Amino acid sequence: MNVRVNDLWFFKSQSFFLVLVIALISIVAGILNPNFMTKSNMFAIFQQVAVLGIVTMSMVLLLISGLIDLSVGGMIGLSTVIITKLVMNGMSLEFALITGVLVCLLCGFLNGVIVSKTKVVPLIATLGMSYVYYGVALVISGGLFLTLTMDFDFLGRGKILGIPVLMIIFLLVTAGTHILLKFTTYGRRIVAMGGNEEVAFLAGINVDRYKIMNYTLSGGLIALASLVLLSRLGSVLANVGNGYELRALAAAVIGGVTFEGGRGTVLGAFLGVILLGVVANAMNILNVSSYYQTVVLGAIIVSAVVISNIGKIKG
Amino acid sequence: MNVKDSEIIIQTKKLSKSFPGVKALSDFSFELYQGEIHCLVGENGAGKSTFIKLLTGALHPDSGEIIFNGKSFPALDPHTAQALGIQVIYQENILVNQMSVAENIFVGCEKTNRFGLIDYKAIFGEAQKIIDSLGIHLAPKALVESLSTADQQFVKIIKALALNPKVLIMDEPTTMFNAKDAEKVLKLVRDITTQGISVIYISHNLKEVSQIADRITVLRDGQFVNCHNNEDKNVDLNVITKEMVGRPVSIFYEREKSEIGDVILEVENLKLTRSSTPINFQLRRGEILGIAGMVGAGRTEIVRAIFGADKKVGGTLVYKGKRVNPRNPAEAIKLGIGMITEDRQKTGLVLSMNIIENTTLVGLNKFGRIILKLKKEAQAVWNFVEKLNIKTPSLRKEVQFLSGGNQQKTVLAKWLYKDIDVLIFDEPTRGIDVNSKTEIYKLMSQLVKNGKSIIMISSDLIELIAMSDRVLVVRNGAISSEIQGEQITEKNIIANAIEVN
Ligand SMILES: Nc1ncnc2c1ncn2[C@@H]1O[C@H](COP(=O)(O)OP(=O)(O)OP(=O)(O)O)[C@@H](O)[C@H]1O
Ligand SMILES: [Mg+2]
Repeated sequence: MNVRVNDLWFFKSQSFFLVLVIALISIVAGILNPNFMTKSNMFAIFQQVAVLGIVTMSMVLLLISGLIDLSVGGMIGLSTVIITKLVMNGMSLEFALITGVLVCLLCGFLNGVIVSKTKVVPLIATLGMSYVYYGVALVISGGLFLTLTMDFDFLGRGKILGIPVLMIIFLLVTAGTHILLKFTTYGRRIVAMGGNEEVAFLAGINVDRYKIMNYTLSGGLIALASLVLLSRLGSVLANVGNGYELRALAAAVIGGVTFEGGRGTVLGAFLGVILLGVVANAMNILNVSSYYQTVVLGAIIVSAVVISNIGKIKG
Repeated sequence: MNVKDSEIIIQTKKLSKSFPGVKALSDFSFELYQGEIHCLVGENGAGKSTFIKLLTGALHPDSGEIIFNGKSFPALDPHTAQALGIQVIYQENILVNQMSVAENIFVGCEKTNRFGLIDYKAIFGEAQKIIDSLGIHLAPKALVESLSTADQQFVKIIKALALNPKVLIMDEPTTMFNAKDAEKVLKLVRDITTQGISVIYISHNLKEVSQIADRITVLRDGQFVNCHNNEDKNVDLNVITKEMVGRPVSIFYEREKSEIGDVILEVENLKLTRSSTPINFQLRRGEILGIAGMVGAGRTEIVRAIFGADKKVGGTLVYKGKRVNPRNPAEAIKLGIGMITEDRQKTGLVLSMNIIENTTLVGLNKFGRIILKLKKEAQAVWNFVEKLNIKTPSLRKEVQFLSGGNQQKTVLAKWLYKDIDVLIFDEPTRGIDVNSKTEIYKLMSQLVKNGKSIIMISSDLIELIAMSDRVLVVRNGAISSEIQGEQITEKNIIANAIEVN
């Protein structure tokens, strides 16, 4: 038998390119400031990007299946505000956390139902819902800064065998997403749906149901991201999650995941997250002002998209 | 015409082109005379489309040269090719559906008035002139989306002709057509060559090729095999097929009829729209039921409704003695009904996925309910790739890189993989070479022999007649007649398929 795999695919992929870029930036930053190349700084980078990383994985699941969710920032705000408020009102931490998770699952489910049943384009539907979620979070918090009155910092600050829990969670989520997409029937079907929905439908895939499931699943990941974020910060404002949707999209796109669906790898998106983290961290260590950091961030996103398009044009 | 008297317009010398893992074209030398119709034939994946893409500049050769009117080019780019007068009509062309025929013809070279605005009068007038000169009927103001597939194809041809080409390349232009429309295209092609335009024509319909070609070049595995003179339209097709495949194959398939059992599927009063005529028919075990009709007569709509892909207004299905009502393909598939759709690129394949992933999409549960057994999957697909002779360097090749015919085979594999009792084939052999057609016919015969049933829509009457036990002729969205046994002839089918008014 002669089942051949394309041997050199990795070296031609976006991921390989990202690895090179990340290595290059690290070397330069390491030379300019020796503190960059330390184990503790590496851990710090992972801790800084963990929440973004989890949100990015949820975005990858959606993008690859031809969907998108602009409401994740609102969901994070809503669930963290609810948890904090419940605890402030005397509910036990466990129940508050469970409620927060359920809120995210429900939001995801709702997004899925709206997108699949009303055929409103996902971008618009979730953009609208983001205002709803954020608005409700504002109402509940009264626009105030809420502080968690109970001790909940294991996720955000704890360590297992000297490794930050945050980092472990991020890596596990990444691995889980990869496995889901590559090795399960569920993953295969949502990728097919993202590649060509009509073909998937005609092949007997219940696309409406898969859309709802996928939004709910991504809601689950957002729940995890919310808990991690809350644990790290200890106190929240309703807008605590704002901006995550765009940064997660950026990370995914840098990693080669496309808006058209059906394409992209978890490894690429993971490297996209790391790249953003490394750049931000390096600039911090080198004392670059945050205004410039924003410019650099934008430039990276555009370059990544341009480069992946050049690859496409060349075939 | 006598080609030797005219000038060589395009000559290629030792053109080669490789893709990762395949030598798509190697040392291909070719000559095109002015005013000739030069047909290219070869199996799926032989390199025909690749050669065309080198001429149009869509791809660059690895080596060799292209000589156009005596001028040598190491490679062409799309712009140069157009400027030289090379026009191509691809299978999937880009017409703008919401625009009129005339606007489509002049997209990119709009005529403007002195204010720089589009001069619609000139456009419509010019379009009408070209249409008239070709002796076809088309309204310049008609929207493209309202046209039949055949007429859309004509629009593509006119669009190409409006640019006064010297060379017109057509890659399988008639696969979408029934015999009558195909005849129109062939006539049009003959007419334009009298104006001195040269035509390169690719087709898997060898009968058509023998009628139209002045010369025929045979390709196999990317290499030149032979060039036949066909000025007298008397080339021996058996020789051609033998050169294409490398061994003798018959162009005609003789199906061994199998035993026909009891009724498995009954369609009762199926209505697609409120005002449409109800549709009634039965399908038996072990039967191949052919559905004939003009393109656009509503054949695809009928089977899509049965398969649950489109909503129906009324009617019931009785399947294996039970009333059923599949509301979506998932439910139909669960019952044991499958459908191979006609448009492989739009409804048949996920182009960004590879051969394995496409093939097992329908029967995915065979490889695990939750976790996929990837090794087992690859092995199973490999067996199909060998059986259907799908040409590919790797199973992990995205199907968008396969040649047209090999894509079609992948669509078939997808459904043959699943255990299914009633299989609907919508134009199953479109774009497939002679040899593989025979393989597919054999597969279909085998399926009905094992007690499965097949509904086959085909515009290829020869195939429909050879394969069907019974033929339903569809006209205007209704079944106009049912033809059986000896009565299944080309004449009978056409007589029933065409409007009488
Ligand atoms: N862009 C591409 N990338 C990789 N391989 C390609 C690409 N285009 C074509 N090929 C390969 O080159 C070979 C020749 O393909 P080509 O499309 O020229 O065949 P063809 O003769 O037109 O076949 P068909 O009759 O099926 O249309 C095939 O094996 C095909 O898989
Ligand atoms: Mg081709």
